Amino acid sequence: MRSWSDQREPIDPGLLWAVLALLGLGLVMVYSASIVAAEADRHTGYHGSYYLLHQSVYLLAALAASYAAFQVPEQVWQRLAGWIFAVCLVGLILVLIPGIGREVNGSRRWLSAVVLTVQPSEFMKLAAALYAADYAVRKAALMHSLKEGFMPMAIAMFLVAVLLLREPDFGALTIVVVITMSVLFLGGLNWRLFAVVVIALVAAFALMVVLSPYRMQRVIWFLDPWKDPFGKGYQLTHALIAFGRGRLFGVGLGASVEKELYLPEAHTDFLMAVIAEELGLIGVCVTIALFAWLVWRIFRIGQRAAAMERYFAALTAQGIAVWLAAQACVNMGVNMGLLPTKGLTLPLLSYGGSGILANCIALAIVARIDHDSRSLTGGRRR
Amino acid sequence: MKYQANTALHLRLEGWRARLLLVLLLAGFVALVGRAVFLQGVHYDFLQHKGDERYSRVIESTAYRGVVRDRNGDPLALSLPAVSIWASRDDAELSPGALDRLASLLHMDRTDITHRLNQGAGNFVYLKRQVSPEVGREVAALKVPGLYTEKGFRRSYPKGEMMAHLLGFTDANDRGQEGAELAFQSTLGGVAGARRVIKDRAGAVIEDVESIREQRPGQDVRLSVDSRLQHLAWRELRATVARHHAKAGAVMVLDPNTGEVLAMANYPDYDPNARDHVTPAQLRNRSLADTYEPGSTLKPFTIAAALETHRVTPATVIQTGNGTMNIGPAVVHDSHPAGAITVAQVIQKSSNVGAARIALGMPAETMWNMFTDVGFGQQPKSGFSGEAGGRVRPYRTWRPIEQATMSYGNGISVSLAQLARAYTIFAGDGTLKPLSLVRVESPPAGRPVISAQTAAQVRDMLELVVKPEGTAPLAQVRGFRVAGKTGTAHKPEHGHYSNRYISSFVGFAPATRPRLLIAVMIDDPTVGGYYGGLVAAPLFSTLMGAALQVLGVTPDDPASENFATPVVPANAAEET
Repeated sequence: MRSWSDQREPIDPGLLWAVLALLGLGLVMVYSASIVAAEADRHTGYHGSYYLLHQSVYLLAALAASYAAFQVPEQVWQRLAGWIFAVCLVGLILVLIPGIGREVNGSRRWLSAVVLTVQPSEFMKLAAALYAADYAVRKAALMHSLKEGFMPMAIAMFLVAVLLLREPDFGALTIVVVITMSVLFLGGLNWRLFAVVVIALVAAFALMVVLSPYRMQRVIWFLDPWKDPFGKGYQLTHALIAFGRGRLFGVGLGASVEKELYLPEAHTDFLMAVIAEELGLIGVCVTIALFAWLVWRIFRIGQRAAAMERYFAALTAQGIAVWLAAQACVNMGVNMGLLPTKGLTLPLLSYGGSGILANCIALAIVARIDHDSRSLTGGRRR
Repeated sequence: MKYQANTALHLRLEGWRARLLLVLLLAGFVALVGRAVFLQGVHYDFLQHKGDERYSRVIESTAYRGVVRDRNGDPLALSLPAVSIWASRDDAELSPGALDRLASLLHMDRTDITHRLNQGAGNFVYLKRQVSPEVGREVAALKVPGLYTEKGFRRSYPKGEMMAHLLGFTDANDRGQEGAELAFQSTLGGVAGARRVIKDRAGAVIEDVESIREQRPGQDVRLSVDSRLQHLAWRELRATVARHHAKAGAVMVLDPNTGEVLAMANYPDYDPNARDHVTPAQLRNRSLADTYEPGSTLKPFTIAAALETHRVTPATVIQTGNGTMNIGPAVVHDSHPAGAITVAQVIQKSSNVGAARIALGMPAETMWNMFTDVGFGQQPKSGFSGEAGGRVRPYRTWRPIEQATMSYGNGISVSLAQLARAYTIFAGDGTLKPLSLVRVESPPAGRPVISAQTAAQVRDMLELVVKPEGTAPLAQVRGFRVAGKTGTAHKPEHGHYSNRYISSFVGFAPATRPRLLIAVMIDDPTVGGYYGGLVAAPLFSTLMGAALQVLGVTPDDPASENFATPVVPANAAEET
């Protein structure tokens, strides 16, 4: 019997199966969660399988893109990291320009390309991981200095923050900042400096929340959604009801009541609630376990690359792991009423082309890093 | 390359940093598992209860309502399958073509439909209720988003206007509102089923949770009414009201042996299948709900009381003199002075003075007992709502002039149903039959009021009324012996008697063995006379003749088969 990290395999089988399981579960649950809403919506042409078909196309495109990304060695990513970051910044600017950017539910997050719409903030998360990794490697010698080691990155982050807050997409900004700070921390940023920066960031976030009544409300009501269950608490109370209805084993696949037009965004931000209702606590725990397993595997891959002194590869892999873990935690925390509503999707599972594409490309990069580690230790030749 | 080498010197990824971060991230996942365990394993009761509040609903299914039939089983009121068309305002999308098609299917204006869809509160709106299943199917075939059909029942009254007051009608929720539909609601209505279901946000049922109450269909009711007689009564009433330009009228046909109501027609009436513009006057069941001063139709009860207490015999001579009688300052009049006449002739000629003299010969209590025993002053308890009880004042308050006028039906009020029922004592052996609107399988015993002998004596007097010397020769029926009494009463208006009248006639046939008892009341005839003998008696005659023929009753007076049409006699009148 071969272990999950069997070095004779070309890539980590544990990683591969976890990703495929999450993608498969996501596709099934997106269909289940969206079918009723799709049948009742004129924008889908009252087609029940509208979201299933679109998600399938996105998945195929994402797998093709992954295959292409797998061919790219880490040195190329490192060389292009700055450019990728810059392109994503341009994308974030473009969405704010009327006529190019598309507004949905009061947020300008999407770019209308010819046939499909692109959400640059999803790719900015990947770019942040690549750019921060490259940055940490380049400035390794200055990691003890606030001015030279941290300030350039702080300025870049400030730019991203300004643009993301204009959309507004507070959720994406949170993830980008968490990725960047984590990579800098892993890259050896002076821990006292890091502590100060984290405290400053938390203070800044808190200040923004307090100063903006819109965000203030979003933050406060989630603590007691039952106070206003038909107003601000509507979405969250329905998500919580879905969890309660699911109990241990769920009401059964396809049998969710909450998805019957009660729970808005059931196939995107609140997919976890539908999983909880239909598949129960068992389904929730399996999903969380798959994410935890995935994150653990990627960290291991990163550690192995670090051991080979491939620092950019190591930091990129772990940055991607932080991204997936943080976004999954925040999304599920929102679904369970632990965090205020953020507008973040569940990575690999929720409906959405840009999200799936960015996730899969990132995982292909991780797989390539793992593959190279295996080749270098002489397990198998490419 | 130099830069890279330089990097390697300074960069060393410390293992503890990665381990710390991984632990923090995994702790996040553990926290989520803990929260999920709380929500799904501990707190679920509260959450499920909240969920039920949002989308668990109890829906009732309308029970099939029983059929109302006439005594021969003919259906009079029945429930047909029907479909209601409703829409969800949020979801309804009507293309102009679909709107045209829908408007023509539902016989509605396009603007009416769009108005209903766009105005008003809430998501749910009925476009049209109770259309035929065919129309329902065609509407469903349009496949308009947000438009739905709902199965139910529509009450149909195949006999139309003629049964209107007898049957009444139901409301939109299938509950009886008037007449038999109301009186027999508990039998007809059945029990609506109830189920607990889960509805989606648009209101459609997506899950059947449990049955709360089994649906139980309503049961049929068989009325006492005979559709054939009802049709005759209704037709003749309309004709008479039209002929005399009267304001209103009522006719009742009873079986005097059982007390069953075989027909009960009122005018004005309405079509129970199209009640959109019905007025309260049309809705009124005058037979039961209206009381009036009966006038001379009450004289037989005065005479019966005197006969029963042996104060007079039919042959006792009563002096009516010149047709006036002074009682204190008041005067009782006869329209035609009759001099010395027998008690029987007091009935035949309808002498007020004669009746008053007989009345004053007995205590007020005796008269009061008679009126009360035949049911005046009390509701007849037919089971229908809105019955009037009429007014009979306590005898202790009667002054002599009041006792005198009451003897010929003034100062007392009754409904037509009360009067018809009271006459059953003369048609039979002196017992009063209970009024029944449902078919009676065996004749009820009734309540004895007068002796069989007294009943027979009064019956004989009533036969004299339709003789050429009586007040109502027009009430004769070819081939049958007829007994009856006319009535003509001034309508009181503002506390005074006006020059408007209520003409009435109550009688039965065949007099030898009565099968039918008919009571007629015509309110305010303005053309062609107003005496009961001229207005109500002809209706009685036509209806009685036709009804006896329908029932195949053997004539008891074959000798009159070829009698000449009676001329209207000069004394076909009475004054009260």
